Amino acid sequence: MAVVLMCVPADRRDLLRRGTLLATMISLLTALLLFLSLENAPAGPGNLSTALTALQSPVPLLNETAPPPLEAKYQFKFTQRTDWMPSLGISYHVGTDGLSAALLLMATLVAFAAACCARDVQRRDKEFYVLLLLMSGGIFGAFASLDLFGMYLFHELALVPTFIMIGVWGRGEDKNYAAYKITLYLSVGAMLVLAGLIGLAQIVRAKYPPAEFSGYNLLEFYSMLEQTHGTGFNEGLGPLIFPALLIGFGILVSLWPFHTWAPMAYASAPTATAMMHAGVIKKFGLYGLIRIVLPLHPYAPNADYWWQLLLWFGLANILWCGLVAMRQKDLNWLLGNSSVAHMGFVFLGIASLNFIGLTGAVLVMVAHGLLAALAFGLSGHLYAQTKTLEMSKLGGLRREMPFIGTALLMALLAGCGVPGFANFVGEITVLFGLWKTQPIVTAIVCWAALVIGAVYMLRAARQVLHGPPPAIRPNYTDARDWSERLPFVLLLGALLFFGLFPNWLTEKMNRSYHRIGQSTGMHTTQVSPR
Amino acid sequence: MPESLLMKLPWLVLFAPLLAAVAIMCLCGDRRGCSAVLSIGAIVASLVGSVCLFAAYHGEVVPPEHPLIWLQVGDPIAAGSLTFDFGFQLDNLSLAMLLIVTGVGSLIHIYSWGYMREDRAVPRYFACLSLFTFSMLGIVLANNLVQLFIFWELVGVSSYLLIGHWFEKPSAADAAKKAFLANRIGDFGFLLGILIVWGVLGTVSFGSLSATVKANREAFSAVATAAGLLIFCGCVGKSAQFPLHVWLPDAMEGPTPVSALIHAATMVAAGVYLLCRVFFLFTPDALLVIAWTGGITALIAALMAVQQNDIKRILAYSTLSQLGYMVMAVGVSGPEPAMFHLTAHAFFKALLFLGAGSVILALHHEQDIWKMGGLRNRMPVTFWTFLIGTLALSGMPPFSGFFSKDEILAQALNQNRALFLLGTGVAMLTAFYMIRLVLVAFTGTARSDAASHAHESPAVMTVPLVILAALSIAGGAIGQVAHPFGEFARAIHPAAADSTVAMICGTLAMLLGMTLAWRCYRKATADPLPHLLGAPARWMRDRFYFDELYAWLNRWTQELLSHAANFADRWLIAGAGVRGVSGLTQLTGSALRLFQTGNLQTYALLFAAGLLLLLYLFL
Repeated sequence: MAVVLMCVPADRRDLLRRGTLLATMISLLTALLLFLSLENAPAGPGNLSTALTALQSPVPLLNETAPPPLEAKYQFKFTQRTDWMPSLGISYHVGTDGLSAALLLMATLVAFAAACCARDVQRRDKEFYVLLLLMSGGIFGAFASLDLFGMYLFHELALVPTFIMIGVWGRGEDKNYAAYKITLYLSVGAMLVLAGLIGLAQIVRAKYPPAEFSGYNLLEFYSMLEQTHGTGFNEGLGPLIFPALLIGFGILVSLWPFHTWAPMAYASAPTATAMMHAGVIKKFGLYGLIRIVLPLHPYAPNADYWWQLLLWFGLANILWCGLVAMRQKDLNWLLGNSSVAHMGFVFLGIASLNFIGLTGAVLVMVAHGLLAALAFGLSGHLYAQTKTLEMSKLGGLRREMPFIGTALLMALLAGCGVPGFANFVGEITVLFGLWKTQPIVTAIVCWAALVIGAVYMLRAARQVLHGPPPAIRPNYTDARDWSERLPFVLLLGALLFFGLFPNWLTEKMNRSYHRIGQSTGMHTTQVSPR
Repeated sequence: MPESLLMKLPWLVLFAPLLAAVAIMCLCGDRRGCSAVLSIGAIVASLVGSVCLFAAYHGEVVPPEHPLIWLQVGDPIAAGSLTFDFGFQLDNLSLAMLLIVTGVGSLIHIYSWGYMREDRAVPRYFACLSLFTFSMLGIVLANNLVQLFIFWELVGVSSYLLIGHWFEKPSAADAAKKAFLANRIGDFGFLLGILIVWGVLGTVSFGSLSATVKANREAFSAVATAAGLLIFCGCVGKSAQFPLHVWLPDAMEGPTPVSALIHAATMVAAGVYLLCRVFFLFTPDALLVIAWTGGITALIAALMAVQQNDIKRILAYSTLSQLGYMVMAVGVSGPEPAMFHLTAHAFFKALLFLGAGSVILALHHEQDIWKMGGLRNRMPVTFWTFLIGTLALSGMPPFSGFFSKDEILAQALNQNRALFLLGTGVAMLTAFYMIRLVLVAFTGTARSDAASHAHESPAVMTVPLVILAALSIAGGAIGQVAHPFGEFARAIHPAAADSTVAMICGTLAMLLGMTLAWRCYRKATADPLPHLLGAPARWMRDRFYFDELYAWLNRWTQELLSHAANFADRWLIAGAGVRGVSGLTQLTGSALRLFQTGNLQTYALLFAAGLLLLLYLFL
């Protein structure tokens, strides 16, 4: 789709915008259909995700191969496979299960909303929309890919546009520094991931009976772990793979202390980019942790040591970045720091090593994706009106912009974990899961979640939305027509829907984790039956 | 009524206000009448539903309904699963509480239509009011701890919205924030308590919890005291007990009907309700702490009330004090007296707040009692109903407050002498500050322009006052006969109350307080107490400096930590760390660049030098 858009002449603004909206809407509808039909679809190849990824991915789809039994075993549906670099064992291989379908649903919704909110781009908009679509296609591909190299490649495809977008369309004085910082940081993370993945592929290739020679196949990796119990990880560079992947993916999600790129980049990025990156692209690191690092955990030497580190770093994310967020003067910096803090919940959910925590982690991922997009979209709307996001210069905006103000208030409340919004469900599930393994850490997290989160979110509400308005101010306009309100209504609606009916999301995911968990030996903690 | 319809009724009771709130947000736009009709209609529907439920189920053992599964993680049979249910708990406790919430709530909703008529944002007000009612009903009907916690948080949010209704006023915006944060601190303990209970007993539903605890007290006893006290933290936050009491007086910044709702029927009552709901979890040690917390709150709040001059603040501190009473009653193993007092208090405190609202509106938002005076003749309905509320609050026989307070004192006398004395002292103070309020505000001569031109409020406001006054008079006697709460807890902690001594002591204390107030304030034009008492009077007026203490504590702990973290984040991690690495890389790059001069002669020289070095090393 991005390719098609490139051919559209640059002066046809309306056409560009509509094309982007159309493309993202089609992928949104496809993802919804995919998610809904997941339960009934047969495992193995299917056409729906083909349609989805074909829409936006640059890789051509050619000969379909016969359904390999592994896909059925691990409950992956709508799979599609084409050899790409056979000599290296790299193929184009996509498919979804409950986990990736949920993330794809969230990602497509955010992409659509981001395309709606891209109004603030006034110049060179053709390039912007092309990059936005490239970014969306890349991240959809990363979530759908069942090929380890493909995952990396698709993620890079989403990452590169970020650099250009911040550098060209960014705001503020520091935008160039921010663009370099985020790109270098994330490249380092991605390099570590790549190194780990190559190492992994070597081991899979060496240990897995090469009936179907590949190496980079996610499913073969699972199968290898199951059959060989991960014996290859003690030899040679094997012990380094686990930490490389852990830290690499961690950097991609702004794991403390590798987090300082995030608030700065989000403060400088154009609205749509911040929405996409904070909402969706950042989740790729977490997705990698769940998909690759977690199954590896029982077999890797020293895994417990690194897992402890993840636990404490995740705690630092919540606590440290929460405290830092309390001191921010700029709304976007505050939102950026709070977004980093929320990532801590996901880390801790993963680090709790049980299904409850893991489910909570995925719920937070989905919820935070929607929330981050909502918050940055709203702050983008504010910035377009006020030309500043310094909180002391704002005030009383709920009176002048009832719609935007109320939506922002709801976003801030969702951010401090108010029930009704999806974030609460995720956070409380993480806490219940974590309590089983780490009661002390849970207690600290409760404090950070309930009190520190509320302190900075309410401070923002107090300074931006409440209180008397400043003496001199131009007339601001609220989001008036439906097209301006649509993205926010959609995101808020999704947050509320998942918050009120979380089971709709979790029951699809339950089965896929159970499958992966059982076959890879992820241990569950005993919970007495009700 | 057929059984199948009856089983659907709790859904109507709970969700009617929520539907109203959503409908007002989506459909009403700026139309005031539409929003008021929807909101009032919803709560009246809830009231009717509650009455039907009460009539059908009161005193019976309701068959447990199959709850819905709200969130299911993992296979329910397999290990490592987690299930949150959504269901209704229908027993004597919740049925009677439903009546209080919807009954008093309805009157306050109707009164609001009169009080808020001139406001700019009537639809938003009614939407929040309905949301608030919904959350409170959710707490009452919840059948497990997590469901209760969810609605508990929602009450916190809706109170935030309502207290901050006039959000452009900095004081209102700050008060809303403060209320929410104080509640959150309590909820921190509450959530930990839930986690402990779940971790040890493996369930959060009230039915199986109480069965497990009764069957096997030892299984739980190791952490029972800690878990009980942590859950009590939730009550400390929401019911504004010492040391988290500071938010409640500030919450007076909200519109007066909101204060009435928060103080009488919802929110603060939720904490006491929670204690009664999970009463079976508390150990004797935990109960002792609860009793003293309640007692101390009752005392300090009563002392503070003596020196306040704002009519709403006096009532706010009196609420604090009465809540302390109720919590103390639970602590001395008397959840029934606590709920009885909660009911009576809901009637007369709603009455007092609505009466105060009537006065405030008549005086164009003047709240200082020293600028009132002589309102007795100008606002007769308000005066007489207010007087009834005052007498009920002071515990004058045969008003409702007499019976309920008497039961608490009798229970305290039975269990803990020191707390009985404390309770009697508080009864005296209560009578003192309430009579002071009535004398200063309603009798004598008008002390301001506004007071001399006051008019009685319209019927939409006075009719609820009259109904509440009737309930305040009769509620106690009815409760004495009917026992609406049944015997929901006495089976666990048998306690026979000897009430004669307690009744005499309580009544004497009240009369003493009234007499003192009469002597001090009969003809007063300024408060004589600061001269009589000196410094202690000033401490009472300044609320014993709790706010200042907390501000200081916060500044030196959490704020300091956040400053440190921010500094480290900006200068150590992002500054020294990241810029250091990038700086080092740049330095290396520029150092290496020096070698790449592009000058052939330099390269040749270096080449020769390297060659010489190699030759030297190898030869």
